[in-house]
Amino acid sequence: MNYELKLEQDWLWIGLPGELDHFQAEGIRQAVKEKMQERYVKYVVFDFSRTNLMDSSGIGLIAGRYRELAARGGQVYVSNVSENMKKVLTMSGLYRIVTPWEQVIVEDSMNGVRI
Amino acid sequence: MSNTNEMLVEFEAVGENESFARVVIAAFVTRLNPTLEELGDIKVAVSEAVTNAIIHGYEEKGGKIRITARLKENELTVQIEDWGKGIPDVEKAMEPLFTTKPEEERSGMGFSFMEAFTDELLVESKPGEGTRVTMKKVMGVQDGSNN
Repeated sequence: MNYELKLEQDWLWIGLPGELDHFQAEGIRQAVKEKMQERYVKYVVFDFSRTNLMDSSGIGLIAGRYRELAARGGQVYVSNVSENMKKVLTMSGLYRIVTPWEQVIVEDSMNGVRI
Repeated sequence: MSNTNEMLVEFEAVGENESFARVVIAAFVTRLNPTLEELGDIKVAVSEAVTNAIIHGYEEKGGKIRITARLKENELTVQIEDWGKGIPDVEKAMEPLFTTKPEEERSGMGFSFMEAFTDELLVESKPGEGTRVTMKKVMGVQDGSNN
């Protein structure tokens, strides 16, 4: 299973592959770099709905996008994270720098704001 | 069914083989009836060691990686070996977040992951000769139906 990228305004949605390892992370990093040259991106969503394995290369990929976007006042979100993947994200400390996308939707519907 | 088993596989140190290595180890431990979580853990641990061999041991110039695995009762011992440049300071390399390749967005968590996802981790390395990672993990003891 491969990854998918979608651009919408200053948002980039990344549908992650089934297994996010070093090999996959390299491919995604390159593709994301090209998309970000094409358009000014401020927000990135990593969608884990198809992902059931991630190693530390995936952590590097997400932390790298965070560094890049934080510098321009942007943000990184993770979405559809399974219990298994939650374990890896928590262990790595990544939850300190990324926001679960589902949480944003709930908060925004409470505030009546739509993104 | 005997209580021991062994296997050895050697392959090229290229990124495409990271998933191959995970499939191999998963297939080898199937007879232990591991939980999905145990299976995920060992796949990640092996993936980390293989990735290290590819990008650090051989610095992506290629070489051979050998995986040796042994089952004894419910304990898996797996070794991942390369004959690459080796690690000058293993202790330093094993510190969380330590990386020699920050520009490649390496998180420096490879060894931490191996440690967290297995029961035992041993790293032996000699500069100029290579690296051998040994991990042990007990699996499939939860359902008691091992026959």
